[in-house]
Amino acid sequence: MSKINSIFIVDDDPITVFGIRKMLDTAIEYNTLSTHVNGKLAIDDIKAKLDKGEPVPEVIFLDINMPIMDGWQFLEDFTDLPIEEKIIINIVTSSIDPIDYENCEKYKNKSHHVIRFNNKPITRARIIEITQPIEQNT
Amino acid sequence: MVRETQTNTNNYLIKQLPTATVFLNNKLKVTHVSDKFVDDFGLVNDTIIGKRIDALFNTMSEDCINDFKDNLKGKKSHTRCAHFITKDNQEKRIEWTNVPWYDENENIIGVIAQTEDITKKVLNQLKLEKLESLLTGKSEIAKIGTWEYDLEKDSLHWCDTTKAIHEVPEDFVPNIDTAIEFYKNGFSRNTVSMSFNNALNNKTPWSEKLQIITATGKEKWVIASGKPIFNNDKMVGLLGTFQDINDSVLSQIKIKESEHLLKTLIDNLPIGVYIKDVESRKILVNKAECDFARVDDPKKLLGKNDFQIYDKKTAQAFRDEDLEVIQTLTPILGKETTCKAKNGSMASILTYKLPLLNAKNEIEGIIGMSLDITETRKTQKELKEKERNFKSIFNSSYQMAGILDVNGTLIEINDSALDIIKTKADEVIGKKFWETPWWPNDDNFKKSIKKDLKIVSKGTTIRKELTVLDQSQNKIPVDFSVKPIYNDHNQVVSLLAEGRVITDMVIAREKIKESEMKFRTLYELSPVSFVLYDFNTNKIIDFNTAFKNTFGYDEQNLSEITFWDLFNNRNTNYKTQAYNQLTTKGTFGPFAEKLIHKEGAEHTVIVNKSLIVNKKGEKLVWTIIQDITESEKKEQQIREERHLLKTVIDNLPLNVYIKDEQLRKILVNKAECDYLNVKSADEIIGKNDFELYGKKMGQISQEEDLQVLNSLKPLLGFEKSHKTKKGKTTTFLTSKIPLIGENGRAYGLMGINLDISELKQKEEELRNLINVTSLQNKKLLNFAHIVSHNLRSHSANFSMLLEFLVNEKNEYEKQELTNMLVGASDNLLETLENLNEVLAIGANPNTSKEPINLNRKISKIQQSLSVTLKNNNVEILNTIPDDVSINAVPAYAESILMNLITNAVKYKDPERDPRIVLSSAKKGKYTVLSIADNGLGIDLNKYGDKLFGLYKTFHEHPEAKGFGLYMSKNQIEAMNGKITVSSKVGVGTTFNIYFNE
Repeated sequence: MSKINSIFIVDDDPITVFGIRKMLDTAIEYNTLSTHVNGKLAIDDIKAKLDKGEPVPEVIFLDINMPIMDGWQFLEDFTDLPIEEKIIINIVTSSIDPIDYENCEKYKNKSHHVIRFNNKPITRARIIEITQPIEQNT
Repeated sequence: MVRETQTNTNNYLIKQLPTATVFLNNKLKVTHVSDKFVDDFGLVNDTIIGKRIDALFNTMSEDCINDFKDNLKGKKSHTRCAHFITKDNQEKRIEWTNVPWYDENENIIGVIAQTEDITKKVLNQLKLEKLESLLTGKSEIAKIGTWEYDLEKDSLHWCDTTKAIHEVPEDFVPNIDTAIEFYKNGFSRNTVSMSFNNALNNKTPWSEKLQIITATGKEKWVIASGKPIFNNDKMVGLLGTFQDINDSVLSQIKIKESEHLLKTLIDNLPIGVYIKDVESRKILVNKAECDFARVDDPKKLLGKNDFQIYDKKTAQAFRDEDLEVIQTLTPILGKETTCKAKNGSMASILTYKLPLLNAKNEIEGIIGMSLDITETRKTQKELKEKERNFKSIFNSSYQMAGILDVNGTLIEINDSALDIIKTKADEVIGKKFWETPWWPNDDNFKKSIKKDLKIVSKGTTIRKELTVLDQSQNKIPVDFSVKPIYNDHNQVVSLLAEGRVITDMVIAREKIKESEMKFRTLYELSPVSFVLYDFNTNKIIDFNTAFKNTFGYDEQNLSEITFWDLFNNRNTNYKTQAYNQLTTKGTFGPFAEKLIHKEGAEHTVIVNKSLIVNKKGEKLVWTIIQDITESEKKEQQIREERHLLKTVIDNLPLNVYIKDEQLRKILVNKAECDYLNVKSADEIIGKNDFELYGKKMGQISQEEDLQVLNSLKPLLGFEKSHKTKKGKTTTFLTSKIPLIGENGRAYGLMGINLDISELKQKEEELRNLINVTSLQNKKLLNFAHIVSHNLRSHSANFSMLLEFLVNEKNEYEKQELTNMLVGASDNLLETLENLNEVLAIGANPNTSKEPINLNRKISKIQQSLSVTLKNNNVEILNTIPDDVSINAVPAYAESILMNLITNAVKYKDPERDPRIVLSSAKKGKYTVLSIADNGLGIDLNKYGDKLFGLYKTFHEHPEAKGFGLYMSKNQIEAMNGKITVSSKVGVGTTFNIYFNE
């Protein structure tokens, strides 16, 4: 498995952040991992990286229910950014509302990024699976 | 100079040189010249010596001078031929030969030139060439051959052309005998023998046109000539030519023949033909022209102009025509003129005059032709007159008339006939009679006409009534006849078709027929009985079917009884009265009477009588008997049915009415009367909807009514709210049905209204209930999702942390995880508490609602929040009057106020102190409490829909839980109130809470 350069966790629940980070630490090789408590902070960080020409995160763990800017608003802004690489975006939520599934499908269809819907609790095996880098040239 | 002296001594020698020689010095000036040179160039009288050579001639070419100059340089020039014009302008051709002139020391001192005048030589040569070519050309073209006879040798020589003329082979050797043999026996051979002998004996030449027979047997015309030739005065032979002139002779003969033919033709033409010169003098006339001018010899006309032949006026007219042709070069073709002939009568002539042009296209005269058509014109005129007479008779007739040939082709038609179809004779003449526009385009009809014409053409006249069509295809009845017309030999040559319009007659006839039929119909088919009886004897003469059917009598019964027997003589009074009235007034009745049926039953009848006198003078009585027994019965029946119907209609739970064409109600039932709150239908009848319901409702109703009346389509079962004048609104299920008369038009409409007001109200209530239910349902679903999400969120955390804890070996980490689990457990408890609170709101909201004084409540909350308010320097401005109270659950009201005021402080703008304005207003059934702050504000475009959502937070405030507004909204709604918000980022937020009373 190749080493992942940068991972983002966007979630306002400290326990979930702790959990994902702990599982990643024991399973995945990565260089940096940043955490943001809402979509706004995350998207601002990514925009700043783009401006400075720094690499954007290859994998993003995204919560839906967050203050200021929720997961959907984050996706709305993110999919408009000029990022050519396929970024893996793993939605991690406890919601089982069908509307949320539909929303996810909608973004999947209108962007070239890999967007997955994952229900909590998330297992270690699932974390490994959904952090696998994908072929960039497809 | 010394040399010159020497040369002079040589002059005599040079002078006598036999060739023309000239000596020139190095300046090309003549120093010596021979006499021959002087002679050749005609320079006898000129000074020659000392002149430059070119000065001797008018022209001398540059090339010659150059030659001389070359000679001076030592070159020997070639002989050259040059062209000179001498001083006396004679053209000379000179051959020059120049050499340089050397002295004894071989120095060039000049030029010696020798010349030869070749002018004559050249000219001769040219002439010869010309002659030769001319001769060959001519002999070939003109087929001229030659022959020579050598007297000494007695031999004859023919050239090739001569042989060709004789058609003998090229190696043929003729002698005198064989040559003469070729001439045609008779004149030709005799002539040539004679001429030949004459030439030999008398030395006389000859030239004769003779005929030969060629070797191939062809006859040919030739000109043979011969002349003696001499040598030193002694005749040595004969030389001659031989020319084939066969073609020209033949063509000349032909020309002559055709000229003769033409002349004969022209002379025999019945047309006067002449040619005039430009002065109008006749230069050629034919016999007819002579006849016209009454002369027996053309010579009497030739060279004369018309003035010398005809009277002045005629001649001038002819001359004018001539001039016209000469000047315009345009022919006159077939112009008809009249002129005075020589015998003094007026003649009609048809004139043709053509310009006569010569080869250079110049006018040389006129070719004229004139045809005397006097006779033709005369007969034509007579014929026309006859025709005109016939036509005027033919046309003046009002009858349509036409003449057909025996095959039925129309050859003449009169104006009356044409007038009917408004067409011109040209368009019908020549057509088959049955194809003309008078007749209908019907094949059977055409066939019948065709058949009729065939019958007539065999000598039978036919006559029948037909209809013809006028130009608008109207049928016009005609009395149509076709008669045969015979010629002197009693043969049918044409058919005369005539048609007399009999429209009036036919109409009259039709009318009679019609009235007769009407009467018959009336008489036979009428349900009324007719009886005709004799006034005096009372015997029944006739009766109609109705009488027979109604009263059961037949012909046999009636022949035995009198009219009055029908009434059983019970009422003699009636009989006398009838007799008297008929006598005095001629009519009687109506009179009601009982007539006895054959079977004995009595019928109530009404009797009318009138007296008539027929052609024979007999008095008869027409009796009209109307049986009213049946109609009396029927009327009763109808009355009963009507009553029944009225009862049914009146007792229907529907409003029923009928309107006439003017939309006035003409029938209403009881329900309609009740609806309009009147006691009697009479109060409604005759009124329209404007009068009954007022302008607005009347207008709507009128539009519907007109739609139904105009479209003839019913409006069925539409819902309509109806407002009476008194303002009571009723919902009707309305139908409007047009009443259609026999003419297909609506004469009114029937309306049916079913009052469905109650039904409508129930429907409305039901709809409201459904709305409320679905809203509740939505809320529940929403809540269920929230619950599931929040609880799932916590349980997921538990499950994850526990998994970590199980696998963790490190004691410190284990402790950390345990702490986290405790935290998660606290969060779960809090969430459950929140949910409990929310559930509590929904449980039983209305029971504990009570009036609350708003200001009192507010000040209570201000007290409990006093520390916070003070710490944050909050200013509260309360404009609510003290007497304002709301109907609410006290705990909710407190919670709502607390929550909103706390929020105003919590989300204050860090730049300024919080200021909260409280106010109230009354809006319908709501008391509205407004809480306005000057805080951070919120972008409602972005978050508006989530503002009141559970666990939705919008500011990064540590105490923002996303629970307060959700709770407040639920509490307000539980009390049947509502909450609205307006906000502007950086300015502040206003919440309006609607408390329902």
